Amino acid sequence: MRAIFKRELQGYFYTAAAYVYMGVFLTLGCVFFAINNLAARSSDLNNLLWMMSYLWMLLTPILTMRSFAGERKARTDQLLLTSPVSLWGVVGGKFLAACAVLLCSVALSLVFVLIVALYGQVYPQELAVGYLGFILQGCAFIALDMLISAQCRAPMTAAIVAFGGNLLLWLMDVLNAAIDIKIVNSILTFISPYQRCAPFKLGQLSFANALYFVAAIFLCLFFSVRTLDARRWREA
Amino acid sequence: MISLSGVTKCYGAATAVQDLSFTVNSGETLGLLGQNGAGKTTTLNIITGYLAPTSGDVRVGDYDLLTQARQAKRLIGYLPEQPPLYDEMTVESYLRFVCRLRLVVEADIARHVRDIAAQTNLSDVLGRRVGNLSKGYRQRVGLAQALCGEPEVLVLDEPTVGLDPRQTAEFRDTLKKLSGGRTVIFSSHILSEVQALCDRVIILHHGRVACDQRLGDMSRGAGARLQAAIFGDMETLLPALRSLNSVARVTRLPAREAGVAEVLIEGKPGAVPQKELFTLLCGLQMPLMRLTPAADTLEDVFLRCTADDQALEKK
Repeated sequence: MRAIFKRELQGYFYTAAAYVYMGVFLTLGCVFFAINNLAARSSDLNNLLWMMSYLWMLLTPILTMRSFAGERKARTDQLLLTSPVSLWGVVGGKFLAACAVLLCSVALSLVFVLIVALYGQVYPQELAVGYLGFILQGCAFIALDMLISAQCRAPMTAAIVAFGGNLLLWLMDVLNAAIDIKIVNSILTFISPYQRCAPFKLGQLSFANALYFVAAIFLCLFFSVRTLDARRWREA
Repeated sequence: MISLSGVTKCYGAATAVQDLSFTVNSGETLGLLGQNGAGKTTTLNIITGYLAPTSGDVRVGDYDLLTQARQAKRLIGYLPEQPPLYDEMTVESYLRFVCRLRLVVEADIARHVRDIAAQTNLSDVLGRRVGNLSKGYRQRVGLAQALCGEPEVLVLDEPTVGLDPRQTAEFRDTLKKLSGGRTVIFSSHILSEVQALCDRVIILHHGRVACDQRLGDMSRGAGARLQAAIFGDMETLLPALRSLNSVARVTRLPAREAGVAEVLIEGKPGAVPQKELFTLLCGLQMPLMRLTPAADTLEDVFLRCTADDQALEKK
């Protein structure tokens, strides 16, 4: 797993993927910071993180599009799948590498915290909880998009489908607000990653919601492993 | 070293390989031949664990490929038809990565990469990006990655496709050096290449083993093949030869001398047609000018094994 993690991480920085991802993340992050904090003269960083969490929908497909679909297209998956590495090792290595790039971008966002700390008040515990939710949500999107990438043959298809999937999760919130059927509302609220992230925004450490993200990550990785394994039986 | 028993692979309704059973002994070089779509790549992908068979068992060394995949895969180095290369990496960092994948001890990796680069003539390009290399070098890098971890079995899928004649010759020489002591399985369309490198060939046809022979045994088993030059009239000779019990087939060959009929006589399996032939010719008073064994070439065997397809194509 370590070898795959290292190669993947290098791969992100050898190609344009990590730079495009971080560039867009920082640019849009700056826009949100200007609107949420500078223009509004607010030191509420958790709300900034909440706004920035919508960036995952757009950006995680950039990180995951090549992870399996790219390997499949370049036929490098033959190297990985004929090596004495378990499928969990392959999937885990790729997931951790994408998460590492995500953490790099999160680290860059600390510049906003620094600016607020210089000119206003920062509440470290609330902010730490906010960051926890922000990171967990990002990692969950990576796991989901990686599962989609495992299903696709071409990176561009993987990116488009992953973006569509992420958008669907956001649209569920819109649908949830628009309809008033109790059982549907409760199901959509249960599934929605944005609803699950809401307590973190308020600085409330919610173990149930943290567990939801961890379970979602595990499930997506599990199905990625199953997808790769199943392909051995049916691939042409 | 490798044994397949009753291996079948289906892609939906289509059957790619059917009931394949053969064993490859340790140190043997096996050539896998067949027309396009005969099932060569599928067979190699199954042997390397990239694909799982629909039914049947594959064993590599002492390990079952399905239940002890990791141990079995450690014994195999695989060069697929398209080398699995990461263009953005340098040759050295790529080979180091493959060594780690193949669980080479970290302290030995630098030495191991140097050795493999020397064996495959890559020492000069270790620092270059894989994406900038020529086709020949890319193929060498592909071979080098298959050698990482010193696997006992090398599986190569059409390794010289797309190389120019010089690159092909160089690649073949490298392969010859590397095959010493290793079990090598490789597929190819180039019969001369298989003849030069292999101890044994398996010809696949419609996903089945149509022929499994050692190259030295090519002319055995199928019955004797004799090329005869007989002083006499072809019209009398042909029916007389065809009436012999030990003869399976007689083919007329172009005559090189006036009055001398030339024929190719194919004996029935296990039969020796010479005795009957001499008796017949004595009776007909047709002197035998020459009688030479006609060797069964790999091409003859290949064409015979895939004959039905060619007949269909002609139709």
